[in-house]
Formats: sequence, structure tokens, C-alpha cells
Amino acid sequence: MKHQVTYFMLASCLAFGSLPLALHAEENDKLQLSGFARVIMGYLDDANAEYIGYDNSVSFDQQSLIALQADYRFTDEISVTGQLVGNTGKQRDSGIEWLYLTYKPNKALQIKLGKLRIPFFNYSDSLDVGFAYPWLTLPQQFYDTAFFSTFEGVSANYEFTVKDWVINSEGFWGYYDDAFNVASRSVDAQVTGLFGVNTSAAYRGWSFRASFAQGDADVELPEATQFGEQLRQLGFNKNGDWLDPNGTIQFFQLSANYENVDYFVRSEVGKVVGKSGITPDINNFYISLGYNFNPYTLYISYGKRKVYYDHIPNEIPYGVSDGLNTLAATYDFVLTQFSDDKNNGTKLGIRWDWKSNIAFKGEMTLIEANGPISNDFSLVDLGNFDDRAILYQLGLEWVF
Amino acid sequence: MKKYLTLLILVAAPFVHTIAAAEGIIVVANTTDNSIQLNRQQVRNLFMGGVIPYDLTAVSLPPDNRTRVLFNTKVVGLTEARIQSYWAQMRFTGRKRAPREVNNESLLLDYLKESKGAVGYLPASATLPKELTVIYKID
Repeated sequence: MKHQVTYFMLASCLAFGSLPLALHAEENDKLQLSGFARVIMGYLDDANAEYIGYDNSVSFDQQSLIALQADYRFTDEISVTGQLVGNTGKQRDSGIEWLYLTYKPNKALQIKLGKLRIPFFNYSDSLDVGFAYPWLTLPQQFYDTAFFSTFEGVSANYEFTVKDWVINSEGFWGYYDDAFNVASRSVDAQVTGLFGVNTSAAYRGWSFRASFAQGDADVELPEATQFGEQLRQLGFNKNGDWLDPNGTIQFFQLSANYENVDYFVRSEVGKVVGKSGITPDINNFYISLGYNFNPYTLYISYGKRKVYYDHIPNEIPYGVSDGLNTLAATYDFVLTQFSDDKNNGTKLGIRWDWKSNIAFKGEMTLIEANGPISNDFSLVDLGNFDDRAILYQLGLEWVF
Repeated sequence: MKKYLTLLILVAAPFVHTIAAAEGIIVVANTTDNSIQLNRQQVRNLFMGGVIPYDLTAVSLPPDNRTRVLFNTKVVGLTEARIQSYWAQMRFTGRKRAPREVNNESLLLDYLKESKGAVGYLPASATLPKELTVIYKID
């Protein structure tokens, strides 16, 4: 939390201190400073749960943030970009979230090298830029699924037209070495062999996107690793293997959207496949409809997520010896810590574009859980949660 | 008096909208290639940072400019708010940059005249210097 506040303060100071510099920078066009900020208030109407960190009290420090971006152009083809983000919420990283060199030899091709955001889904690389999307909070049933959001490596993007369709293809490759942040904990992790491809196609108001990404995760859960090793030595290989936290994670996405001056439809369908036992599989989607009556946008949205583990039944017999009884009971206890999780979120919200760079938003989200709650995602059961809560939010979005 | 004023505004409002919508838009380029003709989708792609078959650079007017509002409605097919949010996403993910903005139509004409390959949109009634060619027109 200390770090979050430090980065928040640092980004704020840089942002406000740099405004006069930005005016000067425009003159020589080499250095451009810009940024964005969000002030988000939230209140959950249920004392027995938390959702995206919000509880039964009014809070401003879960999603509020400020970010500053500097672009320096060496030549027409080569530039460097850095983005510093100061987040108030503990579930989102703060610090230098982007730092990369861009090589753009022509309008069609762009190659980036450095620290980048992972473009898993439509808004994965712009999660923090609330001004960029209509919702106040992105549909969590879809966007709270990737345990990490940046990587260090290279990405290449090529755009071309087929008839009047604009086709954009992107590929990336690199690694991640930091931590997996889930609601209940933060775990050191490395992801190697991380790569992905995605293609989007746009024509008139239509746009479609398909994406695939995968990486080999090495997660620091020494208790699980040691217990798994112990079970394997005793011959309980299936149970031992299930506890191995390391394995490939794959992400799949399909998206279809339509928009015109009056309304929009946005939708994404996703699937996450965790090859190790304690990394879940996830199926999810959302669909949102919006109506524009300038300068307002009214929207409704429905999202659903199903998280499930491939629970391997206990091979360890009870009643043979005290030692085995303890092992069997421990294994059963561990299984309960990785519970399946189904929930859906229904949103009703409004966005008011007050100025060309400032928008206000108001949103209500009804969260409904269906069965057990894993507590590793946005929704956390504090005890006796009745599976139904409403999150009320107001927000200010600013880009500068 | 207030009542009459309100009534007048209510009666006049649809006409204001009709007059604005009736005005055409031309898209002009500083090019020596008089054969270049774009369709609506290509103009939209050009101003939204997408690729088109010609080496042209879009130049825009400011967000509150009336010609820009007409251009957004008739050609791009998106609200100004949506266009601004699109550019925020493009900028902060390092994908694309919004076109350069020039303060008004008269300065835009001056800029286009001086800049080879530059493309801008103007009211259909604008008087064009000889350096500029109309590459798209919509009523």
C-alpha cells in the first residue's frame, strides 16, 4: 500500500509539474507529455462481501489513479515511450507500466521493444484508461481473469486493407517476472515462453477480434510444491501432480462489436485454460448495449464467468495409519481452498462527456454468485454472504 | 416572455438541426494526382489512423468546430465523445496518434496549401485554391 501511495504522489507531482513543460514541448514536437486520471467512488450495499476491494463503506481508494506518459521522438521512425501509473488500489500495479522503444518504418508496420501491456482482450492494454471505455468499471466477469498484465519483450503490429476492411495483426513474445495478484494474496511468479497473436478486422461500424496467448507459468507456492513432492514419493502421483503449481496457461478470445452515432453493441467471449491443477479454467463473456444522446451515453451490460478446477479425487486411503490419515485430510483441505466459482454481473450506467477530455460516469452493478465463491477474484465472501450485492459507483475520467 | 422564448427555441431547434445536416462536406488533399478519389470508408480509415492505399496525412479541426461535428456524423459515423475515447485508447497503448488539429477552416486551408500530402475536411461551400483537389464529397 505504501508503494501505491508513493507512485500515486509521484505521478501526481510529475503530471501537475509538467503541464507548462507540455506547452513548451508542443513547440518542438520531439517530446510530448500527456496523461490520464480517474477519481472513482464506490459503495457496496452488503456488509458480508467485498467486490473489487469495495466494502460496505464509501471508498475512493480502489480504482482512483493518475498516470503520466512521455513520448520522445528521435526520428520519424524511432521513438521511446514511458508511462508511470500511480494506483490507489492494492489489486493493480503501480510504477512504470510501459517503457518501450518503437520502430515505425511506415504507416503499416510498428515494432515495440521493452516493457509492454499484454493485449489479451480488447481493453487489456488500456485497463487503467477509464476515459477509453464507456463503463465505469470494465465487466469484471471478463476482465478479472488474467493474473498478470505486463511483459518484457517485443511486439509487432501490421495493418493492411482488404477491399475496405482494415485488418490489424499483432504478435508478441517475451516473459513476465513479478507476482500474480489475486484478491486473497500476491504470489511470486515467472511466465516464460509468453507469446500471443491477435487479429482485428474493422469495416464501417463493425469490428471483430480474435486472440490467442500462452505462457509457461512458474508460481512460487513452496507449500504446494513440497506437499506434491511428498505425495509423489509415496506413490500418489495423480494427487502429487495436481499440486504442482507450474504449467502452461492459455488465453482465447473472440469479440464482435458494432457502433454508430446512436448506439453500440460490444461483446467478448473468452476462455482461459490452466494446465496445472491449481490454475483454474475459466469460461466467460459479456455483452453491452449503449445508447448515445450526446453528450450522454446510457448503457446496460451483462457478464458471466465460470471458474472451475479439475479436482482430482483423493487417492490417499483413510484408516490405514495415522500418517496417511493426516495426509489424506490435508489433501482434502487443500482441495477446498481451490473452489469453483460462478458469478454474473449486470450493469446499468451513464457516461456524460462534459468536455472533450473530461467525462463523468455513474454505474450500478448487481453481482450474483451462484454456488461457492473462490475469493481469488473480484468477489470476496467475508462470511454469510447471501450471493447478491449491488456496487454503486461515481467517477471522473480525465485525459490531458 | 420566458415562455415564448422557450417555445421559440423548441420550434427552431429541429430547423437548426436540418440546416446543419443539409450542409455538405468536402475532403480535400494537397496532391498533384488528380485521379485520387476516396470512398467514405477510406476517408473514415484515414481520419481514424487506419491505412489507405495512398500516402496521405489527415489534418483535423478542433472538437467543438461545427464542420468537425458534421464530418463526424456524416463520414465517421461516431459521436465526438466516442472519437475522443478512441484516441485516448490509441495514445496510451502506443498504437496511433490523433491527426494534427488546426484551429479553424481558414487556417486549415492555409496549412493544406503549404503541406504536400495533407488532407482536411471543409464545408462544401468553401472556395479552394488551385493547390487543393477534392477527393471525396458528401451532401
